Amino acid sequence: MQLNESTYETIFLLYIDNELSHKERLEVEAFIAAHPGYAREMEALKATVLSSENLQYPFKGNLKQQSTETSLEGMVEEDLVEDWDATYATILKADLEAIPGLSTSFKNSLKKATASEAIIVKSFGFNQQKFTYAAVAACLMIFFGYQQLTKTPVSNSIAVNTTNLVVPNTNSNKTSDEIASSNASPKTKQEVIIKQQAITQQQAITKLQESNASKTQRINVTQQESIAMAETTPNNSVLDNQAVMKEIPRTYNNPITINATSLPVSTANIDAEPIVDEKGLTTYEVIDTEDPNRTIYIANFEIDGNKFRGITRRVSAFLKRNKSDKEK
Amino acid sequence: MTDKAYNECVDNFADGVYRFIVKNIRHTEDAQDIVQSAFEKLWVNRAQVLPEKAKSYLFTVAYHQMIDHIRKSNKMPLSDEASIPHQPVNQAQTELKELLMRAVNELNPIQKSIVLLKDYEGYSYREIGEIMNLSDSQVKVYLHRARIILKNKLSAYAPTAS
Repeated sequence: MQLNESTYETIFLLYIDNELSHKERLEVEAFIAAHPGYAREMEALKATVLSSENLQYPFKGNLKQQSTETSLEGMVEEDLVEDWDATYATILKADLEAIPGLSTSFKNSLKKATASEAIIVKSFGFNQQKFTYAAVAACLMIFFGYQQLTKTPVSNSIAVNTTNLVVPNTNSNKTSDEIASSNASPKTKQEVIIKQQAITQQQAITKLQESNASKTQRINVTQQESIAMAETTPNNSVLDNQAVMKEIPRTYNNPITINATSLPVSTANIDAEPIVDEKGLTTYEVIDTEDPNRTIYIANFEIDGNKFRGITRRVSAFLKRNKSDKEK
Repeated sequence: MTDKAYNECVDNFADGVYRFIVKNIRHTEDAQDIVQSAFEKLWVNRAQVLPEKAKSYLFTVAYHQMIDHIRKSNKMPLSDEASIPHQPVNQAQTELKELLMRAVNELNPIQKSIVLLKDYEGYSYREIGEIMNLSDSQVKVYLHRARIILKNKLSAYAPTAS
C-alpha cells in the first residue's frame, strides 16, 4: 500500500469503511502522524459516517408467528377450521377497531366472509373458473358423444327382427329400381329390412328368369336375411356379417309357404339356393326368438375412431391440466 | 428456518430493516408496510432461507420493495448524480448530525442506500453488493462518491451555519 498525495483519499475512505486490514490501518495512522496536514482531511471524511441511531419498529409483535410445528399435531380439520375462524374473527375485530370512522354496515359486510368458506374452497382445490372449465368440457363430451351416436349411417344399422317376419313376394312384377324408389323413405328399421329383402328377392327373380329355372325351391329365410345384411353393409363389415351368418343355425321350423312365381338368390356368394316347391310356393322360416341357443343380432353401429380419439385426447388433456393446477 | 428462528429474526432485524427503509423513503407508514411485506415474504419462504442468511434476505427483499415503492410514488430522484441545492440552514439545524442527515437525504437512492447499509448495518462491500445486485467495485465507487459529496456538502454547510 502506497500512501501519497494521489492515493490518500481512496485509502482514507477504505480506512473509515473498515475495509483495510489491521496492518494497513496501522500504516494509515502512521502516515497521518507523520503528515499532520492529512489529519484534517481524515476528520472531514470521518464526519461523513452516520452514527448509529436507535429507531424501533413499532409493530414487532404483529410480525411474530405462533409456532405451528407442534400445535397442528393431533388436530382434526374441524378443529383447524374453528381455530382459524376464531383467529380470523379476532384479527378482524382488532383491525376494525383500529380504523376509526367505519360504518356498522361496512363492518358487518366484512364479517360475512368467513374463513371456513375460504378453507372449504381451498381444501377442494376447486374455484369458479375450474368449475366452469369442467362444466364446458362435460357439455362438449355429451354433445359430441350424442352426435357420434346419432350420426351412424342407416346402412350400418341392420336390425334383424325376424320374429314372425313373412315377406310376401308381391313385387314380382316390379324392377328393383321401382321397389327402391317406392321405399325411398323408410320410417323404421323394420321397413328398411323389408325393403332390402324385397330388392334381393327381385334380383334373384330376374336371375332365375334369365336362366329359365322354373323349379320350386325352398329358401332358407335366415340365410336370405343374412345375405341382405351383407349386401347392405359397407365393405369393412361384410366379413363380420358373414361370420355372423355362419353362427346362425339353419333351422326349418314351422315353414311358411307363400305364393310366388319364383324366388331369389342372385349373388355368387350365396351357397344356398332358394327352393320353390312344385306348387310354386316359397317357404320361409319363422324364427323362434325365445330360443336361447339362437343369436340374433339386433343392431350394429360404428363410431368414427378419429373423432372419438380426439374427444378422449381433449378430455385427458383437460384432466391433466386440472391436476397440474391443483398440484401447483 | 424454523418458526422459532423466524421469531428471532423479528427480534433482531426488524428495527434495522425499518430504520434502513424509513431513512431512505422518509415516510413511516410506507416503511412499516415494506417491513411487514419483507417479513411476510420471509415467513412464506422460511423453508428455503437459512437462518444465517435471513438478515441479508430481509434487507434484499426490503430494498427491492423500497425501489418499487420509489418508482411508483416517484418521490425521489433516480439520477446517479443528484443535484445538491444550496439552501440556507436554520440555526436549529446547525448540529453536525442534522447536517449530515440532510446531506444524506440529498444523495441519490443508490448512494443513500449504500451509505445507510454501510454505516448503520456495518455490511461489507460484498454484502452490500449482494443485497443491491451490484459488484464490489461498483459499491466501492458509489460509496466513495457519496462520501466525497457528503464531505463537500458538510464543508459547504458549515460556513453558512457558523
